[in-house]
Amino acid sequence: MDLVSIVLVGLPMVVSLLLLSLVGLVPAALRPRLAVPMRLVTFVVGVVLFLVTTGMFFGTLGEVDWLGIGFNTYVFEEQYTWIESLGVTWHVGLDALSFPMVWLTAFLLPVTQIATWNEKRGEVYHPLILLMGATLIGVFVSLDLFMFYIFWELTLIPMFFLILKWGGAERRYAAQKFFIYTFTASVVMLLGLVTLYFLQQPTQAGAYAGSFTGRSFDLVNLSEVAMAANTDGVFLGKTMQAVLFVMLMLGFLVKLPAAPFHTWLPDAHVQAPTGGSMLLAGVMLKMGAYGMFRIPVTLFPHALEQFQFALMLFGFVSLVYGAIVCLGQTNLKKMVAYSSVSHMGVILLGIASQQPIGYAAALFMMFAHGIISPMLFAVCGAFKHHYHSMEIGAMRGMAKHSPWIATSMMFGWMASLGLPLLAGFVAEFMLLVAYWATFGWWILGPGLALAITAAYYLWSMQRTIFEGGEATQPPAGMEGKPIPDLDTSEKVAMLILAAATVLFGIFPFIALDMMDAWTQAAFVVLFGGA
Amino acid sequence: MSAETVSGTGLEVPSFALLIILLPMLAFPVILLLGRLFNGKDWWRGALKEGGLIALPVMAASLIASLAVIRRFIGETSASATSTVMHWVNFAWQDAATGEIQLFSMDFGFYVDHTTVMLLFVASFLCLLINIFSIGYMNTDPVNDNRNHRFYAEFVLFCSGMLGMVLSDSFLWLFIFWELMGLCSYLLIGFYYERPSAAYAAKKAFLTTRVGDVFLVIGLAMLWNLFQPHAVGGDALAYSVVFDGANLQAIADAGKSGALQLALGFMFIGAVGKSAQFPLHVWLPDAMEGPTPVSALIHAATMVNAGLYLVARMFPIFGAEAMHGAFTDLAFLIALVGGITACMAALIAFVQMDLKKVLAYSTMSQLAYIFTGLGAALWLANSLDWHHDDAAHTIVVVAFGAALFHLFNHAMAKGMLFMASGSVIHEMHHAHHDVHHHHDHDEHHDGHHEEDHFDAQSMANMGGLASKLPITATAMLVGSASIIGLPLIGGFWSKEGIIANTWRVALEDPRFFLPAILVLVTAGMTGFYMSRMWFMTFAGKPKTEVAAHVHEQTPWIPIPLLVLIPMSLSAIVFASLEATHYLGDTGSHLGEMGLLDGFLYEMEHAFANHDPFFLVLTYIAIGLSLVVGPMAAMALYGGQLADGEEAKPWLKPFVSLSARVNKRHRFDNTALAEGSLATALQERLYFDAWYDAACEKIVAGFSNLAAVFDRRVVDGAIKGIESGSQSTSRQVRSLTTGSARDYIMMAALGTLLIALVLWGVA
Amino acid sequence: MIDPLYVSGLSAMLFVMGLWGAFTRKNAIIVLMCFELMLNAANLQFAAAAVHHGDVTGWIYTVFAIAIAAAEVAIGLAILLSMYNQHATISLDEVELLKH
Repeated sequence: MDLVSIVLVGLPMVVSLLLLSLVGLVPAALRPRLAVPMRLVTFVVGVVLFLVTTGMFFGTLGEVDWLGIGFNTYVFEEQYTWIESLGVTWHVGLDALSFPMVWLTAFLLPVTQIATWNEKRGEVYHPLILLMGATLIGVFVSLDLFMFYIFWELTLIPMFFLILKWGGAERRYAAQKFFIYTFTASVVMLLGLVTLYFLQQPTQAGAYAGSFTGRSFDLVNLSEVAMAANTDGVFLGKTMQAVLFVMLMLGFLVKLPAAPFHTWLPDAHVQAPTGGSMLLAGVMLKMGAYGMFRIPVTLFPHALEQFQFALMLFGFVSLVYGAIVCLGQTNLKKMVAYSSVSHMGVILLGIASQQPIGYAAALFMMFAHGIISPMLFAVCGAFKHHYHSMEIGAMRGMAKHSPWIATSMMFGWMASLGLPLLAGFVAEFMLLVAYWATFGWWILGPGLALAITAAYYLWSMQRTIFEGGEATQPPAGMEGKPIPDLDTSEKVAMLILAAATVLFGIFPFIALDMMDAWTQAAFVVLFGGA
Repeated sequence: MSAETVSGTGLEVPSFALLIILLPMLAFPVILLLGRLFNGKDWWRGALKEGGLIALPVMAASLIASLAVIRRFIGETSASATSTVMHWVNFAWQDAATGEIQLFSMDFGFYVDHTTVMLLFVASFLCLLINIFSIGYMNTDPVNDNRNHRFYAEFVLFCSGMLGMVLSDSFLWLFIFWELMGLCSYLLIGFYYERPSAAYAAKKAFLTTRVGDVFLVIGLAMLWNLFQPHAVGGDALAYSVVFDGANLQAIADAGKSGALQLALGFMFIGAVGKSAQFPLHVWLPDAMEGPTPVSALIHAATMVNAGLYLVARMFPIFGAEAMHGAFTDLAFLIALVGGITACMAALIAFVQMDLKKVLAYSTMSQLAYIFTGLGAALWLANSLDWHHDDAAHTIVVVAFGAALFHLFNHAMAKGMLFMASGSVIHEMHHAHHDVHHHHDHDEHHDGHHEEDHFDAQSMANMGGLASKLPITATAMLVGSASIIGLPLIGGFWSKEGIIANTWRVALEDPRFFLPAILVLVTAGMTGFYMSRMWFMTFAGKPKTEVAAHVHEQTPWIPIPLLVLIPMSLSAIVFASLEATHYLGDTGSHLGEMGLLDGFLYEMEHAFANHDPFFLVLTYIAIGLSLVVGPMAAMALYGGQLADGEEAKPWLKPFVSLSARVNKRHRFDNTALAEGSLATALQERLYFDAWYDAACEKIVAGFSNLAAVFDRRVVDGAIKGIESGSQSTSRQVRSLTTGSARDYIMMAALGTLLIALVLWGVA
Repeated sequence: MIDPLYVSGLSAMLFVMGLWGAFTRKNAIIVLMCFELMLNAANLQFAAAAVHHGDVTGWIYTVFAIAIAAAEVAIGLAILLSMYNQHATISLDEVELLKH
C-alpha cells in the first residue's frame, strides 16, 4: 500500500475537506453541536498519523533502515503520472531528511489539538488544523517540484483562515500580511523553479515520455542530473546556478524567516490563535529550512560555497539581532516569536558553516525547535487564555497562583535557552563547534546571543513567575475572581511536550543518528570532490 | 545505553557509580510529584517531612555508593580510570579533502582520579549533611509550609548535577552538569520567589554565571576543534583525549599551543563566573536570598567549587611536557584574578553586618586563595621540568595538592560555618517570634501579627550567644579557626602551602609578586573579619532582647555541626596522611609515609623549613592571621558575656581574652568607619551599581532601541512598500473617470499608439 | 471601376466623422451611431480591398463585421434602455457608470 500518499497525505486531507464541507451543509444553528464529533474524528486521524509515522520509525511498517538510506534515494517512494504533458508527477517518498519533519508534524497535530481542546467554533477549527497538517506533510513528502510548490502554497490557506477567524484584535491585518508577504516570496521561488525546469536538458525517457516539453519537475531526476554535473563542472553554469540559488533562497529565507524578512512573523504569531502559533512555529517555519536542504543545497553546492558568507551573515544577524529585539519586547508572545527568529538563525549558521557537524546541528535544531517552540506558544496561549493579557508583568507571582503555568513556562523557557539535557542544547553545542571551525572569531556573536537569550527569558520570568506573592493583584478585569491555572487538556499537552523535550534531550541520538546519516551521505556527494 | 569499560590502568569504575548520579536525579520528579499530590497531608508533613525524608535516604545511598567508589581508589597508585556509560551523540563522515573517515562523538562516562575522589567525597558527604540540616531548618519555619517539597526536589537535582560534574569523563559532560547545577541554583536562590529581592538575586546569579558559561562553551568549541584531528574515538573533549601526551605533543608540533592557551583561557572565564571571582563575583552575596541550607550547599560545599574543579582539571594540560613554558601567562592570570578577589572580598567583608554576607565574602576570598594556589601550581607545572626531576616533581605536586587540599578544608569548614550561621539565624528567628508573640499578645487577639522589620541575620542584633548556643558557637569557632588558619587544624596546612608556593613562583616570575603580596595581606584580613564575626555574634552582651532569649531547640541542626567539627579539627590527620601529595600526584597513595612519619614531615616543613625564606614567610603569615587580625577584631568587638551567663569551658578563654583585649586596646574607629573607603565597601565597591547601570542603560536601552528600530525601520520598510503600492494604484485608479467618452478617447489613443509602434517596427 | 484610393478616402472620412462624433456628442444614441459609422467605414475598406485584390476574404470579414455590429447594437441599445430606466437620461456627461 502506498502509505505516504494514502495515509499521510490523503487521509487527513480528504477527511478534513469532507468535514469542512459537511459543516457547510449543516444549518448554522446546528453547527456548534458538531464541534465534539468533529474534534473526535480529526483527533483520531491525527493519532493515526502519529502511530503510522512512529511505526515507520521503528520499522514495524515497511521495515526501513533509516540510517542506511543514502542521499537522493528514498523509501516509501511512489510515483504516479499527474499532468503528463508538462512532465508533472505525483511523486512522494521519505528519507532521513524529511522523515523527522513528517514525524514532528504528525506528533504535533494531536498535541496541538489537545492544547486547544476547547477552542471556540471547534467544528471548523479542528478540521482546519488537520488540513494544515495534511498540507505540511505534503510539503515534506513531495519529490516533485510542482507538487512541492502546490503544497507549499496550500499551507497558507488553512493558516490564513486560522489567523483570520480565531485571531486577536488585529487578525485581519496580520493574516493578510502573513499571506501576501510569504506568497510574494514564494512567487520568486516559483519563478526560480520554472526557470530551473526550462533550463534542464530535455529527455523524453521513461516516465516523462508524454511530456510536451521533454522536461520534468521530478526532483529525484533533477538531483541526479545536478549531482553528476556538479562533480566535474558546475550544473547549469556558475552564473545561472547563482541566480537560481538566490531566487530559491529568497522564498526559503522569508519563510524561515531570516532577518530582515522576519517582520511578518511577530504579527502573525501575536494575532494567531494558540493552535495556529504552535503549528506555525513548530513546523511551518521548518519548511523554509527543509526547502533549503532539499533544493538549493542539493542542486547548487557551488553556489552555496559562493554565497557561504552572505548566508552566514543572514544567520548571524537573525540570531543576534533577533535576540536583542527580544529583550526589548513587552509582549510575551511577541518575545517568543522573535526568539524563533533568533533560533532559526542557528539553522542558517549551520548550513553556512559547510561542516558535517554544522549540518547535523541545523537539522537537529529544526527538530528540537519544533518540539520546544510549540510548548512556548502553548504557554503564551495559556497565559492569554487565563489572564486575558499578553503583557509581561500583567500577572506576577504565578508560581504561587498558577503553579502549572509557572512550571510549564519555566521548563519551556529553560529548554529554549539551551539548557543541557533538554532538546536544544546538543544542536547549539554542535553548531558552535562547527561555527568556530569555519568562521573563527565571528563566534562571539552567537556567544552574545546565548547570553542575551538567557537575559530575556530570565527577565520575563522574573516579572511573571516570581515576585508578587500575597500582594499580587490579578490582571485588569479579573479583580475578585479566582486566579485560574491550566485546564486538564492544557496540562496533558504540556506534559507531552515536556516529556518529548526531555526524551530528545537525554537521548538525542534517537533523531540525531538519522540526521547524521543523511549529512554523511550528503557530504560525500555534495562536497566530496572527485 | 551500553556499559563498556575502557580502562588503561587496570582499575575500573564500578557500574554502580551511575547510581550516585541517577538516584538523586530520579528522586527529583518523585518528590516534586508527590509534593504536588499530597501537599498539606499530615503524614506528608510529619512522617516524610515534605520530602525531606525521601531525599535523605537517596543522598545517603549516594554517599554510600560514593564511598564504595572511593574505597577502590584510595589505596591505589596511578589511580585514574575511565569507563563509558552511554554513547550519546555519535557520527562519522568522510573528510572532503583527505577522504579520511572523521568521527564525532560525545559519550558519557566516568573518570576517576585523586581529584575526583576528593571532590566526590566532599560533595556527597556535605550534601547528606546539608540534607539533615535542611530538615531541621526548613521544616520548622512556617514560611516554608507546603512548599518544602520544591526545596527538596531542587536540592536532589542540584546534588545530582554536582556529583555528575565531578564524575563525568569529559569537559562537555562537565559543562552539562555544570549547567544543571546552574539551573538548580537559580531555582533555589529564587526559592522565596514572592520577594522581589530573591527574584532579582536569582536572575542575577544565573545571568552572571551565564556570561561566564558563554565563554566556557566557546572555549569548549575551540578545544574541540583543536583535539578533533587527534581524537581517536571522536570524543574530542574526553579527558582521555585531552590529557593524552601524544595529542598535546601533536598540537604543540602544529604550533597551536597559543590557540590552546586561548581556549583554556576562555574556559577559565567560565570558572570565574561559577566560582564568583572578580569581575563576575557580584552574584554571590545577593544569592544569600536563598534559604540558609542553599547558601551552605551552593556557596560553600559544592557549586562554587565547580570553577575550581574545572581549572584543576586543566592541570595535566599545563603539566604536559609538550606545553612546557607555553601557558605561564594564563597561569599568571588565574593567580592574579585570585589575588585581586581575595583581597577585595576580604575588604568588603570588613563592613558587612549580615552574618551570611560575611560568610559569602569570606567564601569568595577563600576560593580566590585556591585560584591563586592553582595559578601558582599551574605555573610551576608548566615551567619546571617536573617529569624528570624529583625535587621539582615534589614542588609541583605539593603546590597543586595544597590548592586542592584547601578546597577540601574550605568546603568542610565553610559548610559548617554556613550551617552554624543558619542555626543562629534560625534560633534568632524563633526567639524573635516568641518574644514578639509574648509582648503583643494582648494587642493581637486574632493571631494576626503584622510583618515587622527585625533582621534575624544582622550581627547588630546578636551578641553574647556563646552561652546560649554552645554547639553552634563551637562549630563557628572551629570553622573560623580553620578559615583563619590556626596551626594544626583545617585550612592552616593548605593556606600556608598556597602562600608559600605563590611566593616561590614570585621569586621566579616577578609578575607573581602582586598576587603573592595580596594573598599574604589577605591572610591578616581573614583573621580580622572572621574573628569580628565570631566576637560580634557570640561574645559581649546581647545587643537586643531577642538575642537574650535564644536557645537551641531543633535536634536536626546540631547533628551535621557535630559531624563537621571533628572533620575540620582532624585536618592534621589528613595532612599527616600526605593529603597534599596524594591530591596532587596520581602516582601516590594516601598515607604513603605512614601516619607518624607523615606527621613529622609535615610539621618540619611547616614550622622548621630548611629554606630561611619560607621559614620567615610562614611565621609572617601566622603572625598576620593569628595575631594582628584577631587582635584588632577583639579590640573592637570583644567583650564579656552578660552577668550570670556561663560559656562552655572551651569557649570561655576566647571570650575572656577578647574582653581583656577590648578593655586594654580599644581604639576608636569611627573616623575610619565613616570614611569614604568604608562607604565604598558598604556599597561593595560599586560593582553592583555599575553593572546594574550598564544593564539598565546600555543593554536594555539598546534592546529597546532595537525593538523600535525593528518596528519602525525593518517593518516600516515593508509597510512602506505596502503603502507605496497602494498609493500608486490610487493614482492609476484616477485614470478611470467612469466617463464613456474618456474611455473612447483612450481606446483611440491606444490604437493609434499601437499603429505607430507597428509602423516604427516595420 | 472606381479607384480604390477614392473608396479608401471615403472610408477614412466616414471613420473620422464617426470618431469625432463619438468624442464630442453627448447623446449616447448618437455615440452608438457613430460607432456604427466607424464600423461601416471599416467594412467599406474591406469591401474595396476585396474588389481590388480579387480576394473573397475581405467580403467574409465584412459579413462578420455586419453580424457582430448588429449584435453590438442590440446590446448597446439594451444598455442604453436600462440606463435610461435607472438614470432617466442618456447623456454621457451625466453618468459615470463605469467607475463603480
